[in-house]
Formats: sequence, structure tokens, C-alpha cells
Amino acid sequence: MSLFLHYLSMPYLLEGIQVTFQVTALGLGGGVILGLILAWMQLSRFRMLAALARGYAIIFRGTPLLLQMVFAYNALPHIGIKLPAIIAAGLALACNEAPFIAEMLRSAVLGVDRGQVSAGQALGMTPGVLMRRVIAPQAIRTMIPAFGNESVSALKNSSLASVIAVQELTLRSTQLASSTFDFFSIFFASGLLYLVLTGAISVIQLFVEWWLDLDRTARPRRFADYLPWRRVDMTPGAAAPALDTGPVVQPDIVELAPPKALTREDRARRSATIARNNIAVEVKDLRKRYDAQSVLQGVDLTVRVGEVVALMGPSGSGKSTLLRCINHLENPDSGIVRVGGRRLGFRDDGRPLPPREIADERASVGVGMVFQQFNLFSHLTAKENVAGPLRWVHGLTRLDADRRARELLDRVGLSHRADALPRHLSGGQQQRVAIARALAPNPSVLLLDEPTSALDPELVNEVLEVIRRLAIDDGLTMVISTHQIRFADEVADRVAFLSDGMIVEEGPAHEVLSNPRHPLTARFLSVMEAEKVPEAVR
Amino acid sequence: MHNGLFTRARHASLPWRKAALGAILAAAFLIPATAQALPAGCAALKEKYPDWKGKTLVNAINPHTPGYESIDPKDPSKYVGFDIDLGEEIGECLGFKLTYKAVTFAALLTTLASGQADIVISDIYATEERAKAADFITYSKVFDGVLVAKGNPKKITGINNSLCGAAAAENTGFVEVPLVQALIPICKAEGKPEPTLQLYDNNANCIQAILAGRADTYINDVNTVDNAVKAYPDKLEKAIAVTIPYSVGIAVPKDKPKFREAVMAAMMEIYKSGDQLALLKKWGLDPENLMEPGLLTVN
Repeated sequence: MSLFLHYLSMPYLLEGIQVTFQVTALGLGGGVILGLILAWMQLSRFRMLAALARGYAIIFRGTPLLLQMVFAYNALPHIGIKLPAIIAAGLALACNEAPFIAEMLRSAVLGVDRGQVSAGQALGMTPGVLMRRVIAPQAIRTMIPAFGNESVSALKNSSLASVIAVQELTLRSTQLASSTFDFFSIFFASGLLYLVLTGAISVIQLFVEWWLDLDRTARPRRFADYLPWRRVDMTPGAAAPALDTGPVVQPDIVELAPPKALTREDRARRSATIARNNIAVEVKDLRKRYDAQSVLQGVDLTVRVGEVVALMGPSGSGKSTLLRCINHLENPDSGIVRVGGRRLGFRDDGRPLPPREIADERASVGVGMVFQQFNLFSHLTAKENVAGPLRWVHGLTRLDADRRARELLDRVGLSHRADALPRHLSGGQQQRVAIARALAPNPSVLLLDEPTSALDPELVNEVLEVIRRLAIDDGLTMVISTHQIRFADEVADRVAFLSDGMIVEEGPAHEVLSNPRHPLTARFLSVMEAEKVPEAVR
Repeated sequence: MHNGLFTRARHASLPWRKAALGAILAAAFLIPATAQALPAGCAALKEKYPDWKGKTLVNAINPHTPGYESIDPKDPSKYVGFDIDLGEEIGECLGFKLTYKAVTFAALLTTLASGQADIVISDIYATEERAKAADFITYSKVFDGVLVAKGNPKKITGINNSLCGAAAAENTGFVEVPLVQALIPICKAEGKPEPTLQLYDNNANCIQAILAGRADTYINDVNTVDNAVKAYPDKLEKAIAVTIPYSVGIAVPKDKPKFREAVMAAMMEIYKSGDQLALLKKWGLDPENLMEPGLLTVN
């Protein structure tokens, strides 16, 4: 025991820790840098880069670290690169860690909800902004446990540097054992030292998890809650149980002014005005296929400024794809889309724009989009969801962006939930935040993709209410795909009915909905009416 | 020159060291002022080979062989042993200093070949095979000891058919490995089970293999074997000492004949001056090991 304590406190071994630490730091630091490059290459649009990264991973993940160490130390000098032992070990460890870290990064990036990526694109974020503001903050949070694992394994792997004369803890232990014959006391001591080091990494990991926990501010959560022996309910629901359930929803609606019903005369006057307005969106012979399936087969649609067009039709009829083609989230195979007279996504000579320029164009043309699944940025509060894009895309100051966000949240009746995270909001509240976010940059057109389909029936009305006010009070140009017949009747100026990627019937909303001419429209409407009886009663 | 002798004497805590103490002290008193003054010819050598004067060279060692090269248990930042003292004296004679690079035994020559080290003085036997990778200046005869568990339960009597069916622990790259392998057809012809080999990368692991009952024998340099027996007198013993047809050599890169020449000349001075013998005695090694330095090179 005294020998064990003697070796445990021996400066010679403690200095070995320092070397172990240096090799590990080089390996992890270099691994992260290389890993970022590899992950970027793999996620890149360019096949060649992805193939290169894949090839690298096959080689460095598929050969033992021991050989890589020996290679970096003994083979590189033959081509004139003679690295000091610690650097050679760090290089080998970094090269070995890189593909593992790249895979962690890649899966974390791909794990970020695609909907949020679409939402960011629709808001005009360039790929860089999207990565920095939306994907990375979420990816990093999910990566921490895996990265903690990787750090522990890198620390232990650094012991292999002993084969190339790096005087780290393991090599010092074996040399000491050889000269003293105190085999076991020495290895127990160095084992304990390793345990202390890996334990420290675990503590750092727990701390970072606590530090980056989004709910930390919502409910003060102490660091101790993260320790393995604590059993704490970590579900966000438990953090704010009273705030995201039904009873709160009702007062929200009360805050909204009651809708103005349009009389027949109002409608006539409105349509006459609209007919004189400029064209906001023009779609000509739009075609789109996914592999063998043809989703859009020659769609023509014209939307004038101030007009509200409802797209209706069964699931799979192409409504969502049409909307996504309008703001170029999807690349149409052929046909033309013009928004405010400009052809999105193409240069004047007809060549396609790179993603970065498409983003800038989206931002300047001003096409807002609201998604079926809300697609709020889940790591940001309601206010930040609205204010963030204003700062990042439109260059507003924090002050101006916050003022605008508060104003819009107030308009959708959610100023009291400005600091809540999306997951603490009900579906209806989330969709209202999403609408506020889409409205923030003052879009010329708002596209809404089945905005109420993912909501529980009792939450549908609060969202429809907001949209109704946008249409009637604000005169916003909107294209809405919806299954809500009554709502379409009240709000839309025109209805376009899609089936199998074609518009089969189109006309003034009230006329098409109450008096469909095409048999497919008639059948669809009767099925929808039959299903929606309970709601119609309300 | 490291003063390992006296620090060791003051702090010796293990039985074998106490036992060794007497012999070492006696040796120290018999040959006072060991290697204090450089051999007379060294001044001339510095003139003749000025290229390494004032340089610091790297000596690759496998520091797991107490007596030849190991860290000093009382000051682990230093390496001590016969080979260390010898290398330092060669350095002093030619005007260079040495730093050390600790590698596995099997990596000694690759480290030299890759230029990560300039010289290898680490109780390595000069064989024709190894001479393909480096040039050797031979400086010591080889006697191997056969280390076995106390009582020699397998009745091993040398590198012969008594090893049939036994498990031998060796370091990767040791010359004893092919010697044991050569017994396989002999054992087969006699209808006995083959000897097996366990390959480790340092002496301590080989010794532990016998202590743990995994291996039956470990055949290596007799002084190493003696030191192991001194460390574990109740558990180990030396079955026998055998002669091996090799010499111990200093390895230098094949592409530096001038350096080889200089080291050879320095070695000759040290041998002739009696310093080499004094060092053998200082480290408690058998004076029988002494031999006139020679060269082993192959193309």
C-alpha cells in the first residue's frame, strides 16, 4: 500500500500525465478540425469531395491506431517529414479520431429536423447562416455525450504513443516497473491516474450538458441534478406543466379581435379591386417528378396582389410541392415561377443560382412560408424565432428586431409567451409563432402549407383566426393549402382544386365550394363535409 | 556520467539490491575513479572526427534491462546502466552528448533507420539478419541464462529438447525467438509436443509471464536473468547459463560509414584503456563478457 501511494504521488508519473494530456489534446483538437472538414466534405453537394472523405474514413477507421502511430513516427521521416514524437503521436491520434468525430458531426447535423432547415431556407438564410444559427447549436447539443465518449477513448488511446517513445503515463509506468520490479503497485497507481483523468472528462461533459441545457433557464436546474445517481424528471413537460395545456389557449383567443364577416357586396368589391392589382405570383406549366412519380404535371396559376388563393385537393395531389416550388425550396423540372415579376432561383441567362444567392434572393423578393409541422427553431424562444432571422438575414439591430418580434407576437396573441421554448408551447401557439416569424420581414406573399393539419381539433380555430385577420384586415397576398372548407370559403378569394398534379378546377371560392363542376372536386368536398361534421357544428 | 551507484546504495529497498550492494561496492573500491579521465586517444579522435563535436545525438534504447539500461528508480528522469555509461563515454570521447528515446525492443532498429535516432546502444545482439538494417560495432560476448520458476518444474536444461512442450516467453525481435523455433522440427521428430512462444515487448512482461504461470521459461542475457532471480528469489531461478554465438553490438545507420568509423575508434580506445572492464565491474556484470570491439556489416 505504501509503495502504491509512493508511486501514485511520484513526480515522474505525474509528469507522464502531462504528456498524456498533450497527446490527447493534440489528437482531439486535430481530430475536431479534421473531422469538421471531413463532415463538411461528406455533406457537400459535390460528389467528388464526399467520395474523398469516404475514402479517408475507410483507411483511417479501418487500420489500427498502433500502426498509424508507427507510420507517423517511422515512415514519414523517409519522405522528409521528421516530426517530434509527441507531434507524431498527436497527428496519428488526430487522423484516427477524425473519421469518428466526422461521423458524430454528420449524424448530429442530419439529426436536426429537416423542417427547421426548410424554414430557415424559406426565411432567406444562406447555407452558412443556417449552419451557424440553426443546425450547429442543435447539433452540438446532441453531440456532447458522444463527444465525451470520444474524449475518454482518445485519452486511453494516447497510451499507444508509448510504442513510439512518447514518455507518457503508460511508457513511464512500464519503464518504472522494469527497473524496480514493483509491477503491480505501479500499474495500480497508473490505472488510478487514468481513472482520475477520464473521471474529469465525465465531469466536464456533465457540466457542458448542464450549461447548454435549454431548460436550465426555464426552471433553475442545479448541476447536481445531472449526476448519475440523481433521479430527476428531465422531461420538459414537468418543468412547466401549467403553461402548455388547454386552459391557457382560451384566453389567447379572447385577446384577438373578432373577425369581420364579409358580406356578398364586400366580396364583389374585393374581387373587383384585386382584378386590377398586379400579379404577385405567376406559375406557368410547372412540372416536377420525384424519381418515377410525377407530382406536378403542368400547373398554371396566377395570384394577384392582395388575393388569397386556397389550394385544395386530396393528399398527394401536389399542393405542398407547388408551394415549395413557388419559393424554390424545390427545384421544378420545367416551367416558370415568377414572384413579383422575378424568376426565383435563376440568373437572367436562365442558369440556376447557387444556394447562397437563392437565399439572398428569397430574402429580397419576400416570400414567407408557414409549414404544416410549424418548424420552429426548437433551440430558440418564441421571440428569438421571430427576431433571430431579422438580425441574421435582414441585418436589423437587436433592438429593432426585438421590438418587431414583440409587436408580431402581440399581433398573434402570444406576447406573454415570448420567452417560452417551442416545446413548451401548444401546437396552436407554435403555429402562431411560426406565422409571426414568417410575417416579420414583411413578405409580399405568404405561403401556408396546411397550417392546421397537424393541430388537435380544439387548437385549429386560434390559428385560422390569425390567418383570417391577415387576409381580411391586412390584405396580405396568400396561397394556402388547406382541408378546411368553411375556412376557405370565408377567407379565400379563389380556390384551385388539384388532383394528380394538375389543377382540375379553379374559380371564385364560394362558387367552387358550393357548386363544384368537376366530379373529382364534388366527390372530395362531399367526403370532407361528411368527415368534418362535428367541426361544422361548432 | 550518472552517479546511480551511490544513490542506489543509500535508498536500496529491495532484497536483490541489498544483495548486489556488496559486490558493487567491492567493485567500486577495487577500481577507483572509474572512467573519470577519458582515454588518452580521445583528444586525437576529436581532431580526426570533428563532425559530431558539440552535437547532441539521440540514443534509442529499450530501457527494461536493469544493469544495462533502465530508468533510475530513485530519479526516474535518468537512465542508468552499463550501456548508458558506455554510450556517454563514447560521446565524451568524440565530443557529443546523448539524449534518450525509449522504444520497444522490436522498434530499436526501425527507429534508427527512420532517422528518429542516431545510435542504438541497448544490449542488442548483432546478427547477420539485423546487420541488414544497421551496421554494428560489437563490444561484448553473449551468455544467456534460462529463467524458470523456482524448482524448475519442467526440468528445462537449455535451448534443447527439454523445451519440447514448454512455453517460452520472449521479447518480439529477440534472437532467442528463432532458436526456440528451430526446436520445433526436433521435438516433432522425437514425437514430443512443440515448444510454444509468447511474444512480449519488454523484460518485465516476460518475467511476469513466468510469475503468473503463463510461461515456463524466459531465455535472455544472463545478467538480466540473474537480476530477475535476485528480485524474486522465492519464485524464480536460473536453470542454466548457455553460450549463444553472437556478440552485443552498437547499431549505427548504414548510410553513415564515417560515424561508424568514429564510434568504432572511440570504442577501441575505451576497450584498450580498461574503462570497459571497469564499467562491467561497476554494474556487477561478468568480466567474461569483455571482448575486443569488432565490426559486423552486410550489404
